[in-house]
Amino acid sequence: MRPPQLTLNQKLAAVALALGALALFSQPHRGPFVKLDAHELALVVEQEVDHVKPAELAAWIVEGRSDYRLIDLRTTDEFAAYHIPTAENAQLTALAEYPLLRNEKIVLYSAGGIHSAQAWLLLRAQGYEGVYTVLGGLDGWKDEVLFPVLPAEAGPRERALFERAAAVAQFFGGQPRTDGAAVAEAEANVLPKLAAPVATGPAVPAAPRRKKKEGC
Amino acid sequence: MMTPFYKYGLFGDEISLLVAFLLGLGFGFFLERAGFGSARKLAAQFYLYDMSVFKVMFTAIVTAMLGVTYLGWLGWLDLDLVYLVPTHLGPQIVGGLVLGVGFVVGGYCPGTSVAALATGRLDAVVYALGIFAGTFVYAEVYPTIQGFVNANAMGQVTLPEVFELPWGLVVFAVVVIAVTGFWGATLIERRFRSES
Repeated sequence: MRPPQLTLNQKLAAVALALGALALFSQPHRGPFVKLDAHELALVVEQEVDHVKPAELAAWIVEGRSDYRLIDLRTTDEFAAYHIPTAENAQLTALAEYPLLRNEKIVLYSAGGIHSAQAWLLLRAQGYEGVYTVLGGLDGWKDEVLFPVLPAEAGPRERALFERAAAVAQFFGGQPRTDGAAVAEAEANVLPKLAAPVATGPAVPAAPRRKKKEGC
Repeated sequence: MMTPFYKYGLFGDEISLLVAFLLGLGFGFFLERAGFGSARKLAAQFYLYDMSVFKVMFTAIVTAMLGVTYLGWLGWLDLDLVYLVPTHLGPQIVGGLVLGVGFVVGGYCPGTSVAALATGRLDAVVYALGIFAGTFVYAEVYPTIQGFVNANAMGQVTLPEVFELPWGLVVFAVVVIAVTGFWGATLIERRFRSES
């Protein structure tokens, strides 16, 4: 007796069922163990793709982007005194238990940049791929975003750039410094009050949040 | 597909636009080849005498699901790094119904309407104008419905997590549902084709 003739669709259905049945035994998720590729990490560091410039981060916050997690690694007291808007507070020792997902973009910062660089390596070692540090840490944020300086011998290009930076600084409650270092010293250390621009969403050029199109 | 590369900065805005363009061309080409550039074919789904839309979409789901499962099992794909659209159950049910009603009335879904527009169909032109009008209205009323749109936030969740079932069991169940569905769809087609 000849075996029954199957149509192509029936064969495909049989293949799908077989693959589905085999998938019952599958372990598609990787465990907590990862292999660190030292060469790859070194390349990432050398090509400087592991950090975000303070001005870039400021632009994200102004745009109201929500596709990143900003983690402040300093102490709770320092965090309470001032932090970059949208930041969450997590100490280095508690980072392993902190609820972060491996498919998130994680941006770290500390006071200077050393702690955030160490946390970067710790997270990379645990298999987090999208980890970045804020270049220069909170100090970099202050110098570049909150208190930008107009160089003494500035050409028209520098001036235009400074105009932009000044508007951003004012958005975050900072203070642009116009005539060189003299004034700078006096005002540099007054950090903005936390209440005003924090977490209220964009008040300046409110770019509408773009929703990703999905499906057919 | 390009989300992880773009999100982790492996390529920038320009390349991501180029990749999106190429993927879009391929997607549109295969939609047209499948006959989905015709509103008659798509509307036939809702009159139950041609279940192609159901079969194609469910086949895509099963193929992608099995592919992702086996790539993850082989260790070639890290499933934890794959971006998932966050679930908002209530708003997404309402949104799905709005899209479904538009699908029945207009005869296209957003993707197929663009494919049909590319081949110069007049009804697709009207449909595309409707998309622009709808987008505009949505943006205008967004502040008033914002609370509802962001309600029921469940985060990036998958069925195995929600039902607390093993991953493989859900995969097998979806395949069984799909194959049963295809068999049922063929029966329904036969029935309604002979009547029409």
